[in-house]
Amino acid sequence: MQNFIEISDVSKTYWSEDGKTETKVVLPLSMTIAEGEMVMFLGPSGCGKTTLMRIIGGLETQDHGEIHLQGERLAGPDRRRGMVFQSYSSFPWLSVRDNIKFGTRYRKDISAQEKEEVTDHYMNMVGLTRYADFYTNRISGGMRQRVAIARTLASSPKVLLMDEPFGALDAQTREYLQLQLMDINAREKKTTVFVTHDVEEAILLASRIVIFSSRPARIVKEIRVDDLIPPESRRDGSLDMETFMALRADILKIIRAEYAHTLEDT
Amino acid sequence: MSFSILAFRKKLPRKVEIGLGITGFLLFLLTWQLIAVSGAIRPEFLPTPVSVAEAFVRLFTERDFASDIVISVRRVWLAFLLSVAVAVPLGLLMSTYRAVGALLEPFVDFVRYLPVPALVPLLVIWFGVGEASKLAVLWMGTFFQLILLIADDTKRVPVEFIESGHTLGASNGQIMRDIIIPAALPNMVDNLRITLGWCWTYLIIAEIVAANSGIGHMIWSLRRFVKTPEVMAGIIAIGIIGLLTDQAFRYAHARWFKYLHR
Ligand SMILES: Nc1ncnc2c1ncn2[C@@H]1O[C@H](COP(=O)(O)OP(=O)(O)OP(=O)(O)O)[C@@H](O)[C@H]1O
Ligand SMILES: [Mg+2]
Repeated sequence: MQNFIEISDVSKTYWSEDGKTETKVVLPLSMTIAEGEMVMFLGPSGCGKTTLMRIIGGLETQDHGEIHLQGERLAGPDRRRGMVFQSYSSFPWLSVRDNIKFGTRYRKDISAQEKEEVTDHYMNMVGLTRYADFYTNRISGGMRQRVAIARTLASSPKVLLMDEPFGALDAQTREYLQLQLMDINAREKKTTVFVTHDVEEAILLASRIVIFSSRPARIVKEIRVDDLIPPESRRDGSLDMETFMALRADILKIIRAEYAHTLEDT
Repeated sequence: MSFSILAFRKKLPRKVEIGLGITGFLLFLLTWQLIAVSGAIRPEFLPTPVSVAEAFVRLFTERDFASDIVISVRRVWLAFLLSVAVAVPLGLLMSTYRAVGALLEPFVDFVRYLPVPALVPLLVIWFGVGEASKLAVLWMGTFFQLILLIADDTKRVPVEFIESGHTLGASNGQIMRDIIIPAALPNMVDNLRITLGWCWTYLIIAEIVAANSGIGHMIWSLRRFVKTPEVMAGIIAIGIIGLLTDQAFRYAHARWFKYLHR
């Protein structure tokens, strides 16, 4: 597999306001992500997952190290890395459709006509065609998150970065959106990095799970879920539950052990 | 039509709200009338609503009050627009670029605490008693407040909105035009409405101290002849103008920002 994204020796330290105490968030950390992979980040709260993801997205600058996308060194945010935030980031002054269309606004690779088509395509994909003219402060949280996902997809990023996008949603909505995302993923093969606290969500969606240590983040384990549970079986629900539960138990054990370190620290 | 007037923060039917607003005014007028006719206060100090209404008509027929109103309204809007024209761009820059904020904030805060009436003598020395000094008083009174209000409005735009813009490929200028300004605009319009109200306060101060025209000047010169009904009519005229402007702003707000009004 070709290295689509290459993270080399990236580290980040936050300093307190008075500059006296340092918080090492990301150790010098290296990893590679192949094109089309769905990588799920798991790890104890506060270990640095969001920070690492924001560094990949160019919204945060690392102290050391480099990130390359298709061999090109990245600096700062741009349209190649689309971000879906945990909080609702759709624009309340625009309708559902105009929000999604906003994703195409700064694209120069397609015509105005194609922008309309792309907008309708993704609006349909996330099942919001019926709500096209609703302002996004009039729709539910789950719908807003679908707007944000569709908007990001409409901007045609090379990499999709999602930081606990379903974290604030109820269980049913989350499950529904997970299924939708699996669908989109199967169709678009979009390279995705996804942060979650939900182990089952990670197993369902991942081609690979990366488990981080407590802060400062270091990779404790990588699991190629695709090798253990075929992705099609996860999509159609025919997966082997025994393998699923065993994997879940393994992952939880690792995270609990790491979480214990977090508690010892404080 | 079913509604409860006791429900917390629930909107009432429009007709009921307007009715209540009118009732508020009527209650005020009734109380005023009762106190005035009770004889507890001499009519030179508290004329009845009716004699004030008569004075109101006299102001227009005998004293050409309409041209005073035009002069005052023009002063208010001219100063207000001058203030907006500078405060809005600067406020946007202040909240967007930390350097501009760090440069201006302490100074703006300092000037903001200077009592504007105390500056009037100075402004008259600098600008004379003509239009310039009136504009200067109004501008001083509103600009330094407005710039901070605008900066605050823009600061409250969620950082996710801005970061979304970056990851959707927008340039800084595009983020300002397509995200920050539309996101902050409703609050800005509200703050403009409030600032315009302050303009009237400073206008009257300016017109009382140094002017030979305008509503403030008219009120102040009538005072000398203890024309209490006329003085009160003049004050009420300001209230009516304020109320109408305020309603116009609210109407525009509801039209422009439909998503905020159910
Ligand atoms: N801007 C910042 N300034 C200072 N410290 C920060 C900043 N952002 C994050 N941190 C610290 O860095 C550490 C890692 O934060 P981060 O948000 O990356 O963790 P996380 O793994 O995403 O946690 P969670 O799972 O709870 O979302 C935390 O201890 C946090 O307090
Ligand atoms: Mg996080």
